[in-house]
Amino acid sequence: MVALNEVGAEKAVEELVKVDLTTTSVRELNAELHAPTARRYEVHNPRGAEAIAVGLHDAVDVEIHGPAGYYCAGMNMHADIVVHGNVGTGVAENMMSGSVRVKGDASQSAGATAHGGLLVIEGSASMRCGISMKGVDIVVGGDVGPMSAFMAQAGRLVVCGDAGDGLGDSIYEARLYVRGSVASLGADCVEKEMRDEHVAELTELLARAGMSHDASEFRRFGSARQLYHFAAHNSAAY
Amino acid sequence: MCGIVGLHLKNPALQPELGRLLVPMIEAMTSRGPDSAGLALYDDEGMHVVKDVGLPRDICAAHGIASRSGYQAVGHTRMATESAITPEHAHPFTPVPDLALVHNGSFSNHASVRRNLAFDGITCTTDNDSEVAARFIGREIAGGADLEDAMRMVLKEFDGFFTLLVTTATQFAVLRDSFACKPAVIAETADYVAMASEYHALAELPGIADARIVEPEPERVYAWSR
Amino acid sequence: MIDPTQAGLRESATFDRATIASIQRAAETGVYDIRGWGAKRAVPHFDDLLLLGASMSRYPLEGYRERCDTDVVLGDRHASNPLHLDIPITIAGMSFGALSAQAKEALGRGATEVGTSTTTGDGGMTPEERGQSKNLVYQYLPSRYGMNPDDLRSADAIEIVLGQGAKPGGGGMLLGQKISDRVAGMRTLPAGIDQRSACRHPDWTGPDDLTIKILELREITDWQKPIYVKVGATRTYYDVKLAVAAGADVVVVDGMQGGTAATQEVFIEHVGIPTLAAIPQAVQALAELGLHRKVQLIVSGGIRTGADVAKAMALGADAVAIGTAALIALGDNHPRYADEYAKIGSAPGFYDDYQDGRDPAGITTQDPDLAKRLDPVEGGRRVANYLRVLTLEAQTLARACGKAHLRNLEPEDLVALTIEAAAMARVPLAGTSWIPGQNF
Ligand SMILES: Cc1cc2nc3c(=O)[nH]c(=O)nc-3n(C[C@H](O)[C@H](O)[C@H](O)COP(=O)(O)O)c2cc1C
Repeated sequence: MVALNEVGAEKAVEELVKVDLTTTSVRELNAELHAPTARRYEVHNPRGAEAIAVGLHDAVDVEIHGPAGYYCAGMNMHADIVVHGNVGTGVAENMMSGSVRVKGDASQSAGATAHGGLLVIEGSASMRCGISMKGVDIVVGGDVGPMSAFMAQAGRLVVCGDAGDGLGDSIYEARLYVRGSVASLGADCVEKEMRDEHVAELTELLARAGMSHDASEFRRFGSARQLYHFAAHNSAAY
Repeated sequence: MCGIVGLHLKNPALQPELGRLLVPMIEAMTSRGPDSAGLALYDDEGMHVVKDVGLPRDICAAHGIASRSGYQAVGHTRMATESAITPEHAHPFTPVPDLALVHNGSFSNHASVRRNLAFDGITCTTDNDSEVAARFIGREIAGGADLEDAMRMVLKEFDGFFTLLVTTATQFAVLRDSFACKPAVIAETADYVAMASEYHALAELPGIADARIVEPEPERVYAWSR
Repeated sequence: MIDPTQAGLRESATFDRATIASIQRAAETGVYDIRGWGAKRAVPHFDDLLLLGASMSRYPLEGYRERCDTDVVLGDRHASNPLHLDIPITIAGMSFGALSAQAKEALGRGATEVGTSTTTGDGGMTPEERGQSKNLVYQYLPSRYGMNPDDLRSADAIEIVLGQGAKPGGGGMLLGQKISDRVAGMRTLPAGIDQRSACRHPDWTGPDDLTIKILELREITDWQKPIYVKVGATRTYYDVKLAVAAGADVVVVDGMQGGTAATQEVFIEHVGIPTLAAIPQAVQALAELGLHRKVQLIVSGGIRTGADVAKAMALGADAVAIGTAALIALGDNHPRYADEYAKIGSAPGFYDDYQDGRDPAGITTQDPDLAKRLDPVEGGRRVANYLRVLTLEAQTLARACGKAHLRNLEPEDLVALTIEAAAMARVPLAGTSWIPGQNF
C-alpha cells in the first residue's frame, strides 16, 4: 500500500499501486490517476463511491475490487478499467477511448453519450444503456433494460440476452445486435438484415469482449430513417 | 429531491440490529438530502416516526436511532425543492396509522390530485407534493385496497417522476414511474430486503456481497409481506 | 390596393395580421413554426424601470475623472481558478452550427479584446473560438454533441445547461439546412438531417443527481474550473436554490425574451417568465442562503443597452450575458441586406429565420459563401466596440448614482414606471413607496 501523497516527489514509476478507499479519498485517487506515477492500479473498498477513476487520459490499467457508484470511469480516455462488482448510473459515460469492463451489473445510462472505446458489461445493464451513444462499442453479456440505445447516434450495442421496451427509440446511425428477445422497438427502430459484413463485425466485437456466442444467433436493428426530417405525418412520434 | 432507504427484516434474529443497520444507510444519503431527514421504524408496538431538520447523522444521534430494534424501517433525506424545510415537510409522510411513504422525485400534477382529495374531504397539512401521494395511498388503503393495488393506482393518478417506498405494518413496497429516472436499487438476501437510492447506502449491510441486487423496473410494484 | 386604415377598416386585436398568417401557414404545412430570435411580444422589461440619480441626498461621481470599476470574479466558491473579467458583460452560449465558424471566432475576438468571456454552445468547441477566446466557457448540454474531455479540460469554466429562457423544458434543434459536413462531423450526426435533441440530460435528472454530476465534473477537472448552472427562467426561486444546493459556483438565469437559434414559436412566446421577474426571485434565493454575490448570478434575456446592464446589476445580478444583441453588433438585421432579406420573405428588423441557414449577414448559416461575408477580425472589432459602449453607458449611470463600482448599484436605486414592473422587480412605483405585494 503506497500512501499517495508520498509518491509525488520523484514520480517513481511503480509497478503496481494499491489504493484503499477506506483510507484514501476519491479526490486523492483521481488526482493520482490524472498524473499517474505507475502503470497499474488496484482500488480496494470502493463501497459504491461516486466518480471513481473519472477523467483518466493516460494508458493505465485500473482494477476496482468491489461495487462502484455513479459515473465510474466517466469520460475515460486511453485507460483500461475493470470493475469487479456492480456499477451505478452512467458507467463510462462519454468515454472517448480505452476500455471499461464491468464484471457485475450496471445501473442506468451505462455508456451514455460515449464517443469511443469498448464498454463490456458481463452482467446485465438497466435502463437507457447506450443512451445517445456516439461511437462507443458496448457489449452486454446479459439483458438491457427499457429505452436502451435511445437516440443512439453511432457505434454498436451488442446484447447477448434480452432487450427491454422501446429499444433504439429515435435511433440515428448506431447498429444494435440482440441475441435474445426484444420486448418492443422504439420509434423509428426496425429490424434489419444480417449481412456478411455484420456477422463479421459482430464476430470481431464478441471476440474482443470475450463472449463465446456465435454471431449468427443475433438479430440486427437500426434506424428506419423516417424521423430524419420534420414532417406532418410524423407528429405522433415527436 | 432526496435519498431513500428502507430495510425489511426477514430473519427475526436481526431485529435488535435494525437501528444499527439503518443509521449508516441513511447517513450515506446525506449528499442527496442535507436539509432534513426522517424515519419510520416498525416494532411489535407499532410504527414510530422521527422527523427533523438538519443532517441525518445529528438527527439519528439525537433520537438514539442506532439502538432501536424492530422488523422494518424506512428513512429519507431531503433536499427541498419547492416547499419549506421544516420537520412537518420532512418524509416519511404518515397520513393514516401504520402507513409510511418516502419519495424521491417530483410529481408534476400534485396540485390537481390535491384538489381532488380535498373534494373528498382529505386535506393536506403541507404544500409538499409527496404528502399528496401519501394521502392518496392512505385513502385507497382506508377504502380497503391492499398496498400493491394502492401503488398501482398511483400510476394512474400521478404524473411526473417518482421512486416511492411505502410501508404498512405488514408490507414493504417499491414503485418507480414510467421514466424511472430517479434511482433505486434493491438488495435481497435470506435475511432481509433492503432498498436505497444508491448502492453505497447498502454497502455496509451484512452479506451484501452475496445479495441479489435488482434495479426496479419502471411501473412495476415490488412488494414483500410478513 | 386601398389603404385599410384610410378606408376605415378595423384590424382585429385578437386576430392580428401575424396571427392570421400563422394560421394560414399551419393550415398549409401541417408542421408548427420553428424560428430563431426570442419572444417578440411586449413584456415588462428594464425599460419600465428608472434609476434614481444622485442630487442632494446622494452624491454623484464625476464622469471620466472619477473611477467607476467594472471587474468581476466568477466562480470562486469552489473552483481554484475562478474567472476574472474586466467587464460584467459576457457573451452567451451560441453553438457552432447555429452560428458560422467565422461568427464564433468574431465573438471570441471581441470578448477577448475587452477582457470578458465567451461561451461555446450545443455542438462542441471549435479550434477557432478556443484560439481567439482568452476566457471560454464550455457548455455541457443534454445532447452532449461534441462533448470531449480534452475540451472540458481546456475550458476556463463549465456551464451545465438545464434550459434556456426561449424554451425552458425544451431540447435543442437544428434543421437540416445547417447540418453541414463539419457540423455533422462534430455532432456525430448524418449530414442534412433535422436534428432533434434531448431536453433532459442522459445520465441525471434533478438536483440530487446533479450534485453527483457536478462532483464528477470537478473530479475530472481537478476542482480547478468554475461550474455554472444555466436555467431558463420559470420557477426561478426554487431552481436557483437547487442549483446552489447541487454545488454550482455560478447560476445563469435566462429570461423568456432570451434568444434562440431554432425553437417552436409557440414555445418562445408562451413558456417562461420575463427577465425582470426572474432576477428578484434569484436574488432572494441566494440571499436566503447567505450566498448573494458569493455564488454569482449571471442574467440574460433581452439585454441591449448599458441601461439594461445597470438595472440588471442594481436588481442584484453580478454580470449579464448577451446573445441577440451581439449578433446585431456583428451585422444581423442590417439595412444593407434589405434586398436579400426581401428575397427570403423578410426585412431588416424582422428577420428571425435563424433556423433556415440563409442568413444574408452570414452569421446564422453554414453556407460557405454566405459565411464568408463576415470577416472575423472586423466582426470582432464591432463586438468589442459594442461591449465598450455598453460598459461606458452602465458606468455613466452608476456614477450618476454615486457608485465607484458597478456592483454597488442596488434595488434602492430603482423605481418602476408601471405597477406590473414594480410588482415583478420588487421596487416602488415611481414617486411612491408602494411595492405591489409588499408593505401592506
Ligand atoms: C443563435 C443563438 C444560438 C443559441 N444557442 C444556444 C446554445 O447552444 N446553448 C444555450 O444554452 N443557449 C443558446 N442560446 C441562448 C443564449 O445563450 C442566451 O441565453 C440568449 O441569447 C440571451 O438572450 P438575448 O438573446 O436576448 O441576449 C442561443 C441564442 C441564439 C440567439
